[in-house]
Amino acid sequence: MKKEAFMEYWKDDKEPIVYFLKLFEACMKDPELSEGLKKVNQLIWFDYTESGPECSFWVDTRGGKISAGAGKPAEDPDLTMSLSADDAHRSWSNKLNPVMAITRKKIRVKGSATGLLKLAPKLKKVADMYNKVLADNNRSDLIMK
Amino acid sequence: MKGNTGKIISVDLTAGKVGVEQIPEEYYSKYIGGSGLAAKIFWERGNFDADPLSPEAMLLFMDGPLAGLRLSGASRNSVAGRSPLTGHWGDSSSGGYFAPELRFAGYDGIVITGKASSPSMLFIQDDKIEIRDASEYWGRGTGEVTQSLKKTYGKDFKTLVIGPAAEKLVKFTIILNDGHHATGRAGFGTLMGSKNLKAIIIKATKKEVAFAEPEALDALRKELNVKIREALPANVLHENGTAANLIGGMAVGDVPIKNWTSNYWEEASEALTGSTLTEQYLTKRGACAFCGIACKRVVEVKEGPWAIPEGPGPEYETIVAFGTLIGSIDLAATCKAGRVCNDLGIDTISAGGTIAWAMEAFERGDLTKEDTGGIELKWGDMDTVINVVLPMIARRDGKLGELLADGSVAAAKRLGKGTEYTVHSKGLEAPMHDPRGGGHGMALTYAMSPRGACHVADPMMFIELGARFYPEIGLDFEVDPRSSDNKAEAAAIAVALGAIENSACFCEFANGEITIPEWVDLFNYTAGYGWDIEEMMRAGRRVFFLKRLINYRFGLTAKDDDLSPRMLEPARDGEPEGSAVDLATMKARFYEIMGMDPEKGIPMPKTLEADDMAEEAARVW
Repeated sequence: MKKEAFMEYWKDDKEPIVYFLKLFEACMKDPELSEGLKKVNQLIWFDYTESGPECSFWVDTRGGKISAGAGKPAEDPDLTMSLSADDAHRSWSNKLNPVMAITRKKIRVKGSATGLLKLAPKLKKVADMYNKVLADNNRSDLIMK
Repeated sequence: MKGNTGKIISVDLTAGKVGVEQIPEEYYSKYIGGSGLAAKIFWERGNFDADPLSPEAMLLFMDGPLAGLRLSGASRNSVAGRSPLTGHWGDSSSGGYFAPELRFAGYDGIVITGKASSPSMLFIQDDKIEIRDASEYWGRGTGEVTQSLKKTYGKDFKTLVIGPAAEKLVKFTIILNDGHHATGRAGFGTLMGSKNLKAIIIKATKKEVAFAEPEALDALRKELNVKIREALPANVLHENGTAANLIGGMAVGDVPIKNWTSNYWEEASEALTGSTLTEQYLTKRGACAFCGIACKRVVEVKEGPWAIPEGPGPEYETIVAFGTLIGSIDLAATCKAGRVCNDLGIDTISAGGTIAWAMEAFERGDLTKEDTGGIELKWGDMDTVINVVLPMIARRDGKLGELLADGSVAAAKRLGKGTEYTVHSKGLEAPMHDPRGGGHGMALTYAMSPRGACHVADPMMFIELGARFYPEIGLDFEVDPRSSDNKAEAAAIAVALGAIENSACFCEFANGEITIPEWVDLFNYTAGYGWDIEEMMRAGRRVFFLKRLINYRFGLTAKDDDLSPRMLEPARDGEPEGSAVDLATMKARFYEIMGMDPEKGIPMPKTLEADDMAEEAARVW
């Protein structure tokens, strides 16, 4: 499979969003993560558009409900996390120190990240779920050791 | 001079004399300001044989070159001298409003010796400097005295006040600025108490400073203020205070529990974290001078046993020291304990550490009811801690108050038991970050810190978090927190950088956004130091080295660069379970990189000469 020159893990800018949305579907079904996300109570835009215009998704955790979708949200997000699709893959795989990535400007944050910060300790669990999503979708080649 | 004024106030309380004197200009660019400049003055004039609580002991208040600059985080003040708690060099800093007022009044610092014959205070209004009677304030709490001083002299007077504990010479006391901002560590309130100096008040008419390059500085200042305020740490600190990341800290095992016997307590995370404080007790946010972050908490506990009116709220250190460290997850109780400590004038870190030690001693049977005067010390018994133990410590009341008033190390020594579970370096109780979880490099810098275990003497904690990146000075590598790899290399940079930050009296929470070239510009535009990066780093190393030379003259050597045994035990649970700090390996490498003598613990002559300290070298080698 030929990958775009600017991406190490993905063939195009739409591909990662498929798996990231599946990850969030799995998170929503997990009682602990779902409750944690609801407490964040924000509209979050995961902006990976530096890797291509189609490369982003949103998660809405406001009002005790969680929904997610591809692209930029219709409303202005409360929090925007901007990074590359490759670094997003490393991040969901728990292989990217988020503090270090922010310090080195690999991740840019706009808005209040206080709520999301509380979920940082759950990144290991999220990574396990992400790896399962990849495996279930025959993409074990992407699982980071 | 620019930025700095070149002038300090000299006070001899025994003679009842005050004066103003010039400091040699070369001291500033060589030793920066703040605790670095204080160290240089102490080195030249301090009495190394004087007991810290004797009239001959010197107490220094020192501004950094940036004090008065309208820049977030830049206006802290350093207090320094020989610590009554540890017996060697100590320095401690505070935010608040004192530092800019001192600069605006025309001074860089205050050097105090002697002992007043009766309770006194120092009054400063521009060039009017007087020692005044303070008998009416003696014996009263910091809150009441602060309010009374403001009522008498006016709200625009900035105040430094000690509490009753310092009057009783409890050895871990604070100096409280404007009723909220504490110079907390190493017991400098006690130096004031020993000198019968209850308070210092100051007011400047003009609020101006002459800078070296005002236009360039103004542009840089504005740019930095925006950068600092918009950064993620500022956002998080503003919203939820210094305890904002307690959940993350607990997850990695950074938060000490029950006198450092555990690194994980699930329920404590949510119960004590900053957002819970915000939701339950915050009434408004507060800030230090010119700071856009506003991480200070103002809280009110409306009901229950720990009800307190609106006022200063606890920082992370207080929340953990009076929370998990002593076996409690009662957030309201930490608010109350912090307020009680402030009013009595007690350092919450050393107080929490000492009480945690006593609780473990009691549990083990090393400390009995006979030793405590019948008082039971049980984990999490906040009623006893707040209503009985703290007041007893502050008054040196009864057997227990007398035992604990000199800190955990002295208490263990006096008891003849429990030294192995004290938690300190060089006699200073450790802050609320456990290096076994938080990062092994922090263990190294705790041990190397001239004042003793300290998480803000240098940015090592932030380096291990991944929150510092300075390629211009070689700090461009990643470090694994729970490993010794590259820690000595990182620490060698961190101690110099920490000395720069602390001598500049810049807040660790704000300065992470400043790049190394911007640091150089800040010093040059403000004070005209004429540095490049290398010269700035040399100044940082020089300050670190000088404090070590001072300690050497107090009798400390390489063997004192150590941690108490509890900190070197493998972690028992949580994320760092089994993790043990290899201090010996990191220390040996650090000494090698820094060019320090492995026996004496001070830089070797050629190291000192390379940093333009031949004169200092000649006094110790």
